[in-house]
Amino acid sequence: MKKLLIRIGMVLAMLLLLNWVYSKWFFEKDLRTHSDIVELSWQVVDDSCRIIYLGESSNNHFGDDEPNHRKISNFTADYFPTVKMGDLTKEASHAQTHYYLLKHIPKESTVETVVETMNLRSFGAGWIYSDLETALRKQLVLLEDYPSLMNRFLLAFEAYPVKTKDEWNALVMEHWRNDPLGFPYDFEWDNTHQWDSVMAWRGWHDAEGRRDQQKTELACHYIKSYGFQITDENPRVKDFDAIVELCHERGWNLVFNLMAENVDKANELVGKDLMFLMQRNREYLLNRYGHLPGVTIVDNFDLVRDAEFIDQNWTTEHYYEYGRRLIADHLAETLKQFYPTDYHNPDSLRFAVRQVEPHLP
Amino acid sequence: MVFNSIAFVVFLPIVVLLFYLLPHKWRWLMLLAASCVFYMWFVPKYILILLVTIVIDYAAGILMERYADEPRKKKTFMIISIVSTLTVLLVFKYLNFITENLDQLCASLGMETHLVTHIILPIGLSFHTFQSMSYVIEVYRGHQKAERHFGYYSLYVMFFPQLVTGPIERPGNLLRQLHEKKEFRYENISKGMRLILFGFFVKMVVADHLGEYVDEVYGHLDEYNSWSVLLCMVFYSFQIYCDFFGYSTIALGSAKLMGFDITDNFRSPYLSKSIAEFWHRWHISLSTWFRDYVYIPLGGSRVKFGRWAFNIMVVFVLSGIWHGAAWTFLLWGFAHGLLHIAEKVLRRALPNSGRVKGAYPLVGNALRVVKTFLLVTLFWVMFRATDFEHLRSIFVTAFTNFDGGEQMSVKPGTWLCLGLFILSDILLRNTRFDAWCEDKPLVMRWMIYAVLVFMVIACSSVCNFPFIYFQF
Repeated sequence: MKKLLIRIGMVLAMLLLLNWVYSKWFFEKDLRTHSDIVELSWQVVDDSCRIIYLGESSNNHFGDDEPNHRKISNFTADYFPTVKMGDLTKEASHAQTHYYLLKHIPKESTVETVVETMNLRSFGAGWIYSDLETALRKQLVLLEDYPSLMNRFLLAFEAYPVKTKDEWNALVMEHWRNDPLGFPYDFEWDNTHQWDSVMAWRGWHDAEGRRDQQKTELACHYIKSYGFQITDENPRVKDFDAIVELCHERGWNLVFNLMAENVDKANELVGKDLMFLMQRNREYLLNRYGHLPGVTIVDNFDLVRDAEFIDQNWTTEHYYEYGRRLIADHLAETLKQFYPTDYHNPDSLRFAVRQVEPHLP
Repeated sequence: MVFNSIAFVVFLPIVVLLFYLLPHKWRWLMLLAASCVFYMWFVPKYILILLVTIVIDYAAGILMERYADEPRKKKTFMIISIVSTLTVLLVFKYLNFITENLDQLCASLGMETHLVTHIILPIGLSFHTFQSMSYVIEVYRGHQKAERHFGYYSLYVMFFPQLVTGPIERPGNLLRQLHEKKEFRYENISKGMRLILFGFFVKMVVADHLGEYVDEVYGHLDEYNSWSVLLCMVFYSFQIYCDFFGYSTIALGSAKLMGFDITDNFRSPYLSKSIAEFWHRWHISLSTWFRDYVYIPLGGSRVKFGRWAFNIMVVFVLSGIWHGAAWTFLLWGFAHGLLHIAEKVLRRALPNSGRVKGAYPLVGNALRVVKTFLLVTLFWVMFRATDFEHLRSIFVTAFTNFDGGEQMSVKPGTWLCLGLFILSDILLRNTRFDAWCEDKPLVMRWMIYAVLVFMVIACSSVCNFPFIYFQF
């Protein structure tokens, strides 16, 4: 047994030495290869940014026919020409990814304000258990708080959820079948799956009573995307809580940018019950985070009209230029409180906003 | 549960610790529970299939022993057991293949049928059914006493280190050891850890890195030139060897931690000088299984040449189809059988062709090793191809596209890892890594450990290919 203890001591010493070697010569290259998103954080530091905008696809999409490919973050930055604003945008990312990116911004950085995209759909099972999660979570392993060799060990031995597309889909289905919708009034269906199935079976009918298959499918999609109840146990809520805590520790102003959803379409296709759930989830987020010190929520929930949504056959937060400008304008109004002297005379920008014709399908 | 996962890294030390903490009389129960957890980590419900074969073979063993004096009854129980085990194998492994081919046959005759089934193959089915069958046959032959303890018998079939990809154990080795009281010994821990470390290196560093190139080139044949495809053929030879050898070595090491010695499955097969020798060194537990339970009962080599050739073809075709339910596997087995026979014919016709005389025996032997390796490499293409069309495309691209397409670029690190592995394979041709380390000075030994630990952690591929033999 004594021999074994000596050997365990030798193993520990060896691991310490290997960790030093790995950290010094290999870790950075591995980060660039296997967790390339961290380069976004490094860029923010290199550019001495004071505001950082954490986004997902809502900040990265433009209409095919649009000449202006400027993002929400670009439009927002226009309001503060003397303040450097960094953009950390990655498709399909969410609060957990953003938390890791924020964690990797050094304490001595010039960051003062964090704008975190808050996407209502990202609280739903369809996004939480999306099949993109395996790749996303794999990218985060090297960014854990352990010694770098330990992180590489966790990556090598797959310490992240490795699931096939079917397994992820099964998890989503499990939640759609089992998570209660929590209506305070009598509602015909117990869960999202039932609701979706009935919609698919009954179909969506126009004013003349004709079934429209395309709209039926879209209505089902709206039910699956927004037909859920956010509770304190929601994994995404925990991620946002972690961001709040981190920003509090670092002394950063935190602005949650609650993205606009296509409420017009939701109302048209599914109706008041879905609207009730969407509204209740919005209120949950406003109540949970709206009153915390150092945290502000920009509520864009119903700011953008149906015609400004790029994807008319899918649920996304991808907006045409006018929609992007509207959100940027709304966000800039909030950021003004932190940078009152840097706030650029908005008249020209407002004029520009007015000049842009709302996109008509 | 796969070996190269964080779950196994946590699971194994807990099992080993419990094994030594528990008194001998409870260890079987703990190991059986651990084996169930290990197996159910994949698809829990498939344990029921395992349970069915265990119950049938356990009962058959006892009944054969009870009716030892009545050969007809004894034989009947043996046949019932073998047929039911093979039925399970047939249904879960071959039914999709059979029905798919029946549909195609009917279609070619102008009939439209929809017989095709979509049954998912339970992991490791071919391995544990063969292990079960070896028990039944050994009891029938009177070489093994029937196991009365259902728990021990279940553990013999389900022992987690070798449950899903072998080595295919015999009751004379594993079942006997399961009954033995194992004392804690430092040398078992040390040897086990060495084997596990080496197995991880071979699988995660060598096999998985090579797999990245193989998947890329075989998946995009139209984009690469012949040199790339030929290089990939060689890479695949090492990938499949390192993948399977790595798994078997980790299995050996995991069992060794608890004092169990399970069968060595490989002895540097790519250093073989002939196909016959290759099969003495490759997947030894399967080769010996076929030798003992198929080849010898058919008459083995003590028969006329024609009959011997027939026996060889039966064994190799069965071996091919054992690997997978596809025509490409059957062709692979068939090709190996033919080559085996051709080698014997050549040896008879040119009795001195195999012997190297003169001043350069080393060169002669090296050439024979290279020849065998190239032939095996060529045959692995059949093993890797998804179907005949893919097989044809690989060969066509490999030999007709020298000027067009891209040249695959291989990272220096990959060559280094492959070089290190080939060196280790030569050094370990007559021994095993745990034994080889034994007589090395402490400093050198620990330097080797440090390099291996570093490579496994820092240089392993993050693509994490599933073990190739899991599909069998």
